[in-house]
Amino acid sequence: MSSQPTSVAVRPDGTAARPTAFQRWSVPALTLAGLAVLLWVGQSGALTKYTQTVIMFMAVNVIVSASLNLVNGYMGEFSCGHGGFMAVGAYVSSVLGVLLFAKDRVFGPPLLPPEWALVGFPLIVLVGGLAAALAGLLVAIPSFRTRGDYLAIITIAANYIVISAVENLDVIGGSRGFMGMKRVVKAMGRAWDLPWMLLWSFGFAVFTLWILRRFVYSTYGKGVMAICQDEVAAEIMSVNTNRMKVAAFMLSSGLAGVAGGLFAHIVGYVNPGSFGILKSTEALVMVYLGGMGSLSGSVLSAVLFTLLLEALRPLQIIKWIVVPLLLILLMQFRPEGILGNRELADVFPGLRRFFRFK
Amino acid sequence: MLLEIENLVVRYGSIEALHGVSFTVDEGEVVTLIGANGAGKTTTLLSICRLPPPEAPRVAEGDIRFAGRSILAVEPHDVVRALKMALVPEGRRIFGNLTVEENLELATYARRGDPGVVKDLERVFQLFPRLRERRRQRSESLSGGEQQMLAVGRALMTGCRVLLLDEPSMGLAPVLKYEMFRALKRLNQEGVTILLVEQNAALALKFAHRGYVLDTGRIVAEGPTDHLLSNEEVKRAYLGG
Repeated sequence: MSSQPTSVAVRPDGTAARPTAFQRWSVPALTLAGLAVLLWVGQSGALTKYTQTVIMFMAVNVIVSASLNLVNGYMGEFSCGHGGFMAVGAYVSSVLGVLLFAKDRVFGPPLLPPEWALVGFPLIVLVGGLAAALAGLLVAIPSFRTRGDYLAIITIAANYIVISAVENLDVIGGSRGFMGMKRVVKAMGRAWDLPWMLLWSFGFAVFTLWILRRFVYSTYGKGVMAICQDEVAAEIMSVNTNRMKVAAFMLSSGLAGVAGGLFAHIVGYVNPGSFGILKSTEALVMVYLGGMGSLSGSVLSAVLFTLLLEALRPLQIIKWIVVPLLLILLMQFRPEGILGNRELADVFPGLRRFFRFK
Repeated sequence: MLLEIENLVVRYGSIEALHGVSFTVDEGEVVTLIGANGAGKTTTLLSICRLPPPEAPRVAEGDIRFAGRSILAVEPHDVVRALKMALVPEGRRIFGNLTVEENLELATYARRGDPGVVKDLERVFQLFPRLRERRRQRSESLSGGEQQMLAVGRALMTGCRVLLLDEPSMGLAPVLKYEMFRALKRLNQEGVTILLVEQNAALALKFAHRGYVLDTGRIVAEGPTDHLLSNEEVKRAYLGG
């Protein structure tokens, strides 16, 4: 994905002042600080295992909502099959992980020494993402000629295709699900005793935001916003809209696959049921809660939504009455979401003095 | 000839919009296509841009050639990239959500990393100083005239050598109209070839070198614009006297 920040070229009057050292390093420093805090949290046992899991789910949800925002927010399409792409990523990385680094009843002894999981884990998550990106073509290619409601229906179909395919693959457990990922995570812990899942979830969330931010702020990525507004005008401005759609859908679904891979390894168990239309709806709610076309909104809403789901856990099934109700109330009283299509730095311009994130 | 349109026939469903239109545009020229509503002017321009249906119908007969080669199989984004022809569409179709600067940046999509971008931006801002003042504004907040300037500026940012203009004077105050045409004249002097579609025939004929009069899908008169301006038929039908 070429995403050089050529946008800087369009500043002949020199208004794009060079970032100060503080602005340049604040985000990397914060990221490192975040990792350090998580490391301490994991090692000291300051937070319970449950709280740690919630933090990991937050990170996964940040990836899910930010990646869906690329398609639904920035590109203005209505994709409601994000869960399907998570499933692809989850299954591919889980199967790979168990195959390579863990003893399994079906797959037999690990193909590689389990300690290698230390290096192998991020790679299998990325491979899962890659597989999900390829699955994204299922939606990208129909999008050449279809948009709006019809494309939305196709995305739902894609979700069901993935789920049914998994349900009918007995090798990976079919509808009973697939497990063994805990052994991969344990293998990492044995090789070097760190809270790996906490660190990787956080790391991948930051990676997702970084890559999406670079994408949408590059001249290349502006093609996505052009498609959102007027496809014909985009074409006459030399944007190859079909290629752009493929890029956006694949990036979005690929990142969803990464989220799925992380989710599978956090929970240690996946079954096709957890990536159905309900999961896709969760993703949609997060995007619309945060604001379409706002990455910081997506982060905010993912964090809030995860907390909300946990808070509503005692309600059990009634939760699924409360959550859609919230969506209805949101659409009634604040249809643009928390941040609309603005970023946090647009709402609080003072923040700009402290960071640059490109 | 830079651009040759030969016997172009296009149909919207069963309705034939152009019944065999032929004309040429030479390098460095300003050629205008005038005619009443529904004459087929916009259809001609959209066909040249190779926009797919439903924007422009498929070419049923005839040919469109650029520098001697047929461009019927060229994709619309490649018309801009490879042939360097850019359209300023009717109704402007700027990206209202984006700022002026972002609109101009977007037009450089196909030439990312080209150092000429900075020079072209300066050229656009010199041509339309108003755009420089408003460069951080969302473009939907601009006035109609400013939006038209942005549409022309955006086309220029693609690095085009041929400018296809569809009704650039539509809905502009007289002062802005003249400002717009002064800018276009300057561009032509700098070597940009212009094909102008206009309803305001008097203005178009004063500006262009050669003109074609289009009437319900046919060319009914053509020639140097001073000839057309003195042609009794044209005067009566299009110049109101």
